[in-house]
Amino acid sequence: MALSRIRTIALMGLEGHLVDVEVNISEGLPSYTLLGLPDTALSESRERVRSALVNSGYTWPNRRVTVSLSPAWLPKKGSHFDLPIAIALLVATGEVSQDVCENKIFLGELGLDGSLRFIRGVLPSLLSAGKHSFSCAIIPQSNSDESALVRSIKSVTGSSLSSVVGFLLTGEQESESSPSSSISTNTNPLNLSDVAGQSLAREALEIAAIGSHHLLFIGPPGAGKTMLAERIPTILPQLDNERALQVNAIHSVAGVLHERGVLSTVPPFIAPHHTTTATAMIGGGAHLVRPGAISLAHQGVLFIDEAPECNPGVLDALRQPLESGEVTISRAAGTTIYPAKFLLVLAANPCPCGRYSGKGRGCTCSSMQIRRYLQKLSGPLLDRVDIRTFVEAPTRAELVSENLAETSEVVRRRVIAARNAAQERFKDCPWNMNSEIPPKELRVRFKAEKSGMTFLHNELESERLSARGFHKILRLAWSIADKRGHFIPSREDVEAAYRLREGKELFR
Amino acid sequence: MTEERAARLSLLACIEGGSHFWTKEVREYGAPYVVERLLDGFYGGKKNSADKITEHLRQVNIEKIIESFEKSRAIFITPDMHEWPSQLNDLVAPPFGLILRGEVGLLRNRSLSVVGSRNPTSQGVRHASEFSAGFADLDWVVVSGGAFGIDTAAHNGALAAEGGSIAVLGSGIDAIYPSGNERLFRALEEHGLFVSEVLPHVSAQPHRFLIRNRIIAALSRGTLVVEAAYRSGSLRTAREASEIFRVVMAIPGSISSPTSEGCNRLIAQHEAELVTSVGDVMELVMSLDDARMDA
Repeated sequence: MALSRIRTIALMGLEGHLVDVEVNISEGLPSYTLLGLPDTALSESRERVRSALVNSGYTWPNRRVTVSLSPAWLPKKGSHFDLPIAIALLVATGEVSQDVCENKIFLGELGLDGSLRFIRGVLPSLLSAGKHSFSCAIIPQSNSDESALVRSIKSVTGSSLSSVVGFLLTGEQESESSPSSSISTNTNPLNLSDVAGQSLAREALEIAAIGSHHLLFIGPPGAGKTMLAERIPTILPQLDNERALQVNAIHSVAGVLHERGVLSTVPPFIAPHHTTTATAMIGGGAHLVRPGAISLAHQGVLFIDEAPECNPGVLDALRQPLESGEVTISRAAGTTIYPAKFLLVLAANPCPCGRYSGKGRGCTCSSMQIRRYLQKLSGPLLDRVDIRTFVEAPTRAELVSENLAETSEVVRRRVIAARNAAQERFKDCPWNMNSEIPPKELRVRFKAEKSGMTFLHNELESERLSARGFHKILRLAWSIADKRGHFIPSREDVEAAYRLREGKELFR
Repeated sequence: MTEERAARLSLLACIEGGSHFWTKEVREYGAPYVVERLLDGFYGGKKNSADKITEHLRQVNIEKIIESFEKSRAIFITPDMHEWPSQLNDLVAPPFGLILRGEVGLLRNRSLSVVGSRNPTSQGVRHASEFSAGFADLDWVVVSGGAFGIDTAAHNGALAAEGGSIAVLGSGIDAIYPSGNERLFRALEEHGLFVSEVLPHVSAQPHRFLIRNRIIAALSRGTLVVEAAYRSGSLRTAREASEIFRVVMAIPGSISSPTSEGCNRLIAQHEAELVTSVGDVMELVMSLDDARMDA
């Protein structure tokens, strides 16, 4: 047969589009034409496919070969079209029959020797293939752990082109991957009990985890800001299956799933360096729109150390995703939406040299430098950060204390209980986190106890508190009340919330 | 304009304030004679800076300077005038003259200086404005600089209590420095007084603020340091004040707050009195005359 058709998946963001790979071999001078908006990696598939076919013992048709990827309007990116093109060629040359390829999708990059290589984005591809009622997906062996997560479609893995052909001809496969019964919890080596002292900062972490309040730590270098932030995932609730799949799918598209661990249900912790570009932070790229740090941190923590050192454009780019929980990236080739709902944790030194705390004797910064340093952060971004806390270096007594602080497990149990209480309260509301309560509702339905409100109104009146600060403190007070098991925030809860914003002092 | 005043104005235009040498010369020989000697090149070889000053002096255009005063609605006073605050004569190097803009009468009132960090805590801002308001309530004028932080809070406190406030500037009388503090400058323009010892249009230079601090210290009966870091210009003001036997006071703060380190140091070394209320301050600065007047 001189005409064949094989199905595969092209990803736009996390969404998979069904793509037909058609090959026609006709009489004429030997040539090879690839149609359907291929990118560079895909255009190069010709040489890979040709070598792989020849080195696997098949013959390259020395005739006029036309490969068409349809729908033609959809831009196609990446190297996973190698396998479907090779199989389509083999069908067209009659090595494999068209019938055995029906109801199957093919994904994989070919090596010159015919081996099947690791590709990015297998997980979301399989998830969307499952929706299209295919019976079977054929993927590279090295991607088998990802396929284990997907139950809606059976996956067959192959290590080489010839093993895939062998499976198509005989139905026998090298190894079958069976879907794992459940996603296992892998243990995180970090634990909150590693941190000495820091009672205020711990409290801030816990409240942040309960209500998903964004957080800013200010403190001298070495005080433990990073150490604390890294441990937030250990006190957040584990991801449920649906969320874990979504997170893993994003990491799969970015090609970093193996770093995270395929079966992980731990909320991701992403810490981009402060010199990162806006594209790396938000996502993008010329052809393949890669998810950025904010999407990798989806359902987890985005930690930006030395935040004032960041290029201001980069931090400001966080504003829209912080608001909407997703990011829309538009490029000439199309628009991609990635989810980006994360807990933002910023860390900053008190001044450029980092020593303007305690007695401040070692600080060599000018008054203007100190003044300007944290102001680099201020404005609309900080409006979205509810908690601002100082992290002072632990004292000697705290460092040598043998009484270990609370473990992550204990704290997490409290976080889960508090979140459940909030969920119960918000069951007929469109939001489910304390940090998302709209201002109007805070003034009407979700007020604190009367004495607590009086306290806040006094602060408002004496201009020690802005209206925005007023709302933030109320939201924090709800998280504190949930933690303490109060039905409504008491005056003590409100005062504790007020203290969690003490770092505002530094923003004059 | 008298010869003395014109000469002082020329010297002010050419010599940076606070110079012990030139002050001594002026005191001994009178300003017109010093100007004459400078123009004759008398000091050449005796004083390194003299040649530069002489050169500068030859280009001074008194008429133009007076015109610039008129343009910025400022007046120029010298020690021979009744407006001159005689307490400035306590200084080793009093200014050759002062340029004033605003309520000149405030200089006759008893006053207190309130100084401190440009990066105070919110606590410090509160203390500065509440103490200043307290001083204003008791008819004391507040003296400070024009910087962000404690300076601004002090003026705001005094103005809020409808008292008088004097800002001693390190730059020209018509400059708004720092420029972000425009609101304070507008408020002071209506109810306060600006004082400067440099000509209008002279730019703000770090060293000028340190030289200026001696005027803040000398104008008032006492200097209150609200919050100051370990290295702070306010500590210089405190030192200037104690050198001419003014009362120096400081508000103590937490030992883990960088902006209280300077104050705590002053107190620990007995360079400043510890004050925690307006009453404390009054006990230290009130004289018998004041007590009689207030009674």
